[in-house]
Amino acid sequence: MIAQRVILTLSLVAFSGVAAGFDFGKALEERINKELNREQPAQPAPAQQPADTAPAQNAAPTPPANQKIDARQLGFALFGDYSIEEENRIGRQIAGNLLGAVQLVRDDKLQNYVNLVGNWVAQHSGRTDVTWRFGVIDSETINAFAAPGGYIFVTKGLYRRLNNEAELAGVLAHEIAHVSQKHHLKVLKQSSLIGALGQAASSKAKDSDQVVQNLIGNGAEIMARGLDKNAEFEADRVGIVYAARAGYDPWGLPAVLQDMAAIPAQDSRTALLYKTHPHPAARLDALGEAVGGRLDAVRGKEVGDRFYRIP
Amino acid sequence: MNPNLIPAALLLLCTASASAWAAPGTVLRNEKLYSQPSASAKVAANVAKGTPVNILAKQGGWLRVTAGRSTGWIRLLSVRAGAGGLGGAGVGDVVGAATTRSDPSRVVAVAGLRGLTDADLKQAKFNPDELARMEAAGVSAAQARSFASRARLAAVKVPALPAPAKSAQPASSWETN
Repeated sequence: MIAQRVILTLSLVAFSGVAAGFDFGKALEERINKELNREQPAQPAPAQQPADTAPAQNAAPTPPANQKIDARQLGFALFGDYSIEEENRIGRQIAGNLLGAVQLVRDDKLQNYVNLVGNWVAQHSGRTDVTWRFGVIDSETINAFAAPGGYIFVTKGLYRRLNNEAELAGVLAHEIAHVSQKHHLKVLKQSSLIGALGQAASSKAKDSDQVVQNLIGNGAEIMARGLDKNAEFEADRVGIVYAARAGYDPWGLPAVLQDMAAIPAQDSRTALLYKTHPHPAARLDALGEAVGGRLDAVRGKEVGDRFYRIP
Repeated sequence: MNPNLIPAALLLLCTASASAWAAPGTVLRNEKLYSQPSASAKVAANVAKGTPVNILAKQGGWLRVTAGRSTGWIRLLSVRAGAGGLGGAGVGDVVGAATTRSDPSRVVAVAGLRGLTDADLKQAKFNPDELARMEAAGVSAAQARSFASRARLAAVKVPALPAPAKSAQPASSWETN
């Protein structure tokens, strides 16, 4: 960490030497020096994540909550945690963009059913500050997405492959875990310095949506970039537990992964899925390592009888 | 119907259902085959990582498989279904991967796939009407609880799963960033 800072500072010195004439470079240097020289958080730590559910490795101390520097000018925390309001704004923009690429399936019963299952599972995620919304999108590809703030999407192509409510719960639980573990926000935080400076440099960032858009890049490309594979393994591990806590058979998500593992890789319906996720075989392997015999005593329900099938 | 055709039809049916059940798979780690779907049942055989199996049935977290001359129950998560062998894309998938991934035109060319390629996501424009539709479809926690209880779903205490030590290296980056 310290070594990183030294390197960063050194490279900044070099950078500022070269680019002495550019305001942008100077702004970058000032911004980072300000951050690096900060000794103590000036504000008390914001409320921690609800104690819950989080897997054991989350017990590792989170870095001290940093204060937000210049939050008003930049709109979003560069180094601190995003507030729930900021998270909602980010999620809204990503979800709205995704829905610009693909519409919701026009089937109110389907959408209501998925919301009821998803909301019930999400109640076992430990995140109570999120308003959860679930949607089936009109694409025959096989995929599911989550955006911060509790926006969860499943494609019609994936939904059609499901056999019972426990499998749906497993898929939704994986996506809910991305939100509860704030995976996308962590990625955004890593790149927010660049994004925030980009928006500071362009004075066009007047309305809020534009600020968020600058942060998340083009359209909903953040969905195409995907997450670190360890975030996917973690979402499987955390999600299987959410589904089990909700009373479902925990083997719903593994059954879906088995189904996907059997689809040949050249099937174009999984092209984006495989670009953004480890292969299902690798996910089954990692999940097996984590689960072992730990769920042997869990007796959940598959709930096949009321599972909604798309006409 | 011609009564002579019935046995033939039955035979066809049997073949069809048998082939529907018997799916190929590969063992992901050194494991045991149990005589029953339970870790406390008698061990029927040991199977090594990489062993090809035939999946005969599924029950909860268990699969009934044949491996060589042994048949027994193995943990669902210790097997991958499909012909891909060990790891991600196996031998059977390499050809497919080569044609899909290195040839972007192939992905684009697929008929009927609406809007979920990289390019579509990148170019996507905010759609306030669809977002409003999605937000309006949200349900309350109380509605979801009542829905769950109608299927006799009740909250269960299940401890969190530890992160496997194996993937300790980069996983930590998620926690420290």
